[in-house]
Amino acid sequence: MSFALAAICLPLFATVFLALAGSPLLGARINLGLSTAVFALTLGVVSHPGHGLVAADPLGAIFGVLTGFVSLTIGVSNIGFVRCEQAGFSHRQWRVYHALCQMVLGSTLLGLYADNIGLLWAATEGATLACIFGVGLPRTATALEAAWKYFILGGVGIALALFGTMLVYLAAQPALGPGLPALSLIALSAHAGRLDGSLLTLAFVFLLFGYGTKAALVPLHGWLPDAYAEGPAPLTTALSGLTLNVALIAILRFRHLLQANRLEGGAAMPPGPFLLVLGLASILLTAFSLSRRRDSRRFFGFSSIEHSGLAVFAFGVGGATAIFGGLLHMVIHTLIKSALFQALIRAASFRGGAGAGQFGFSHLRGMMAANKYLAWVLGACVFALTGLPPSGLFVSEFIIISQTIQREPLAALPLGLGLALCALAVIRTIGPMVIGPPPKPVTPTKAGVTAHLASLHLILAFGVAFAMPWFLVRALSAIAVALR
Amino acid sequence: MTQIYPIAHLLGGVILLCAFALLSQRRISAMITLYQAEAITLSAAAFWQGLAQGAPSLYLTGLITLGIKAILLPIGLRRIVWRFGLTRANESALPLGLSLVMGVGLIGVAVLVVLPTTVSALSLTREDLAISLSIVLLGLLVMTSRRHALAQVIGFLSLENGLVLAATGMPDMPFVAELTASLLVLLGVLVVGVFLFRMNEHFDSLDLAGLEDIERRGR
Repeated sequence: MSFALAAICLPLFATVFLALAGSPLLGARINLGLSTAVFALTLGVVSHPGHGLVAADPLGAIFGVLTGFVSLTIGVSNIGFVRCEQAGFSHRQWRVYHALCQMVLGSTLLGLYADNIGLLWAATEGATLACIFGVGLPRTATALEAAWKYFILGGVGIALALFGTMLVYLAAQPALGPGLPALSLIALSAHAGRLDGSLLTLAFVFLLFGYGTKAALVPLHGWLPDAYAEGPAPLTTALSGLTLNVALIAILRFRHLLQANRLEGGAAMPPGPFLLVLGLASILLTAFSLSRRRDSRRFFGFSSIEHSGLAVFAFGVGGATAIFGGLLHMVIHTLIKSALFQALIRAASFRGGAGAGQFGFSHLRGMMAANKYLAWVLGACVFALTGLPPSGLFVSEFIIISQTIQREPLAALPLGLGLALCALAVIRTIGPMVIGPPPKPVTPTKAGVTAHLASLHLILAFGVAFAMPWFLVRALSAIAVALR
Repeated sequence: MTQIYPIAHLLGGVILLCAFALLSQRRISAMITLYQAEAITLSAAAFWQGLAQGAPSLYLTGLITLGIKAILLPIGLRRIVWRFGLTRANESALPLGLSLVMGVGLIGVAVLVVLPTTVSALSLTREDLAISLSIVLLGLLVMTSRRHALAQVIGFLSLENGLVLAATGMPDMPFVAELTASLLVLLGVLVVGVFLFRMNEHFDSLDLAGLEDIERRGR
């Protein structure tokens, strides 16, 4: 059994046991133990990627390690969340919650490691279903409504992605014939020039809209802000944010098939314009809707749409450098966003609870009065999202913007405008949240381990951006050149 | 085996007809009946493809389709209709005539998109694909033109039938039975979801059960 298979199966099998037994706190501890084991396994995948249906390529392996690490820190801060919210759910609901956390983790890893577009699709479906259950878990009217919205949009997206998957299989028939190789990403990319180009283009449209729904690209983004705002916070914000990467990587890989087919004389259409339009639409829509949000989870949900759109935009610009920038952006954004949500959950628990409706900006004002350290960490996380230096996102956004000016000069102006507006809206929230007057008198509280973890995330994001270790530079550059 | 094409096309055509007829129905129970007819035809199509391609795994797909989609899901849907008295609750956001015209347009789009792009593929696959894309698009149209959650669900179920039809028509595609089964999980959750959602609309909130539980544990 390879490391990759073990990393996928461990959380998925644990789902069954977690759903059946255990008190809330015990479940949270088991969750942490499992996440630690999975993180160790994802490290093993880097040197032993496995073979067959589950074979991690370098891209999958890097994002696997990222997923393992983030799920580990979420596992730690999850214990604090469970302590704080213990009375909010029944024992049964907590069991389901812990099981769903592991299911999202396992499906995400399956989506990253699978070398089969059918399995990739199944992984996306599994992660979506788990998130939908998670969103509906509080059983309040608004939560059920958000879950329903997620279900309808996510279901249609899943259906379209399956249709696209079948079309890719059909497009591979002239080159690879019937059977498993026609579904393997490695084989498809090796024979990209001999795939049926026009069929591949049709497939790409379906895949883009299918996985684009999961990556929350405008106009398919409607589910994300609601889902982020309603479900139990660690599951629906931090953990499910990891599945955005699966969808983005899927889009990147299929884009590469189209591009390679075109370069080798196939009849596929250039994928760039599709991606540029969807990416720009996501950034601009976020730019104009951020300033009107009152709930912080909804607000940062919209910010995820922006960053997802920016990654897709970078893939649309094309060329090795822009794709390098896009991948770097995904890595850093994942680190910062998960740190932010962990700090936010801790901050909300200072104000009485981390359930739905307790994340309003008005509710979270003046964290400085409660704990200075956490307030600064929270402020730093939010500031890091703007992409201004010294945030790690500055580097990736700089690469993407300079490549846009070079390769797609017409798109540079709207991109810059969108990013500036988003940064402005984000930066406006820092002041009140950190140093504003608190809504009611508060007693100082300990920051807890969460704040340290969030700082660790931020330091890692800074390190990856400004002092990237040589092996990561080499690996990411090789991936970007291969997928350009 | 000269009968393969005509019969496969006949079955595909019947499914398409059912999907199209969904657009014109005013009552939910009629939509459920149509969906049931669609699912029965789909399982026949899966059996036929299994016979024609010599692929036993397609028999499994046919059996799953027959057992769950043609029998269990309609029973569940009818129970929901009966439980909440929804026989006439089927508003359409579009006039029926207009949605029929749009349906015809969508079928035209599907044929125009698929047939020229699949010149190299086998002709059976080509036409099957055109039919399934039409069914998928018609399902989307039902989902967007109906206001009621249950009607939207039936649109989604019909859309999913189009996907399974496409999957069975692919030449020797691996994992067809597995993919069908995992789609079914989605459908099952969907129907249960409607049930919960309707409960929620009727009783304002489902919180009560959870609260009682907490109280009991507290004492």
